[in-house]
Amino acid sequence: MIHSMIKTREFEGKSEKEAIDKAIEALALDREAFDVEILVNERKGLFRKGSVKIRIHLHDDALPVTVPTEGESKLIAFLKTLLKKMGFPGEVTISFREDMKIGLDISSRFSGILIGKRGKNLDALQVLTNVYAGRIGLKEMRIIVDAEKYRVRREESIIRLARRTADQVKRSQRSRLLELMNPFERRLIHTTLNKVENIDTISEGEGLLKQVRVIYREH
Amino acid sequence: MAEEKDLVEYIAKSLVDDPSGVQVNMIEGEKSTILELKVAQDDIGKVIGKHGRIAKAVRTILSAAATKTGKRIVLEILD
Repeated sequence: MIHSMIKTREFEGKSEKEAIDKAIEALALDREAFDVEILVNERKGLFRKGSVKIRIHLHDDALPVTVPTEGESKLIAFLKTLLKKMGFPGEVTISFREDMKIGLDISSRFSGILIGKRGKNLDALQVLTNVYAGRIGLKEMRIIVDAEKYRVRREESIIRLARRTADQVKRSQRSRLLELMNPFERRLIHTTLNKVENIDTISEGEGLLKQVRVIYREH
Repeated sequence: MAEEKDLVEYIAKSLVDDPSGVQVNMIEGEKSTILELKVAQDDIGKVIGKHGRIAKAVRTILSAAATKTGKRIVLEILD
C-alpha cells in the first residue's frame, strides 16, 4: 500500500517543453505517466523571457516506488545531511514502502563504517531517523534504514545459524548458547526453530541484548 | 572537531521543539574532546529518549564520525 501519494505537482520552465522535462526528471517518470495542465503560459517576447507553469496529474498506477512523497523527501534530506555532517556522505533512496513501513537505502563509499560493527551505526541512524519521522508527522510509520542490503543479509545469516545450531544440538543432544542478540534477532531464532522436532529455544540474560540457548528435548 | 560540534547541533536542532535553545560547547583536551549539549528545559527528554535511547544513538553516531580523526569524543547532555 502506498501512503499519501502525490497526485499532482507543479513545475515551471521557460517553455512548456522545459517544464515537462523538469517534471520527468524530478519524478523519474515517463512522459506517458502523467497528463499536463497548463496554468500560466507567457510567451517569449522581444524583451522578456517566456514563462510556463504546468500542473501535472499523475495516472493512478504511475508512481514508481522510488519517487518520494513530501514527508519522505524530508526524511531523505535529514538522513543525507546527517551522513554528510558525519563526514561520510552518500545517497539516500526509498527502497520499499509497506503498510506502516518505509525503507530507506543508503549508498555510499563509506557504507562499511555507516553500517558499523554488527550494524551498530546503522541502528543508531535508524533510531534518529525514526524520531525525526515522528516529529514531521510520520509518527505511526516505521522507518527501516539499510545499506548494502545489510539487514537482509544479517537476517539470512541468522536463519542459517539457527538451523545449523539445531542440527548440532540434535546430533550431540547437548544445548548450545548463541552470541548476544537484539530482540529482533532473537525472535528470528525462536521462530525459525519453533517447529523443529526435539528442539526448544529460550533467551538467557538481562537487558536489551540477550543470548538464546538452543536445547535438546526428547518428545 | 568543529565538524562534530556541528553534527551534534544539527541532530539536536532536528529533534527539539525549540531549535534556538540548542547550544553546544566544545572543550578540547589532549586526547579527548568534550561536547556539552544544552537544550531548552522542555526539550531535554527529546534528546535523551526513553531509557536514554536517543542519547545513545547520538553518541554512537558521534563516535563513528570521530573515527576519521581517531580522537575520543564525549557527549555530555546538561540539564
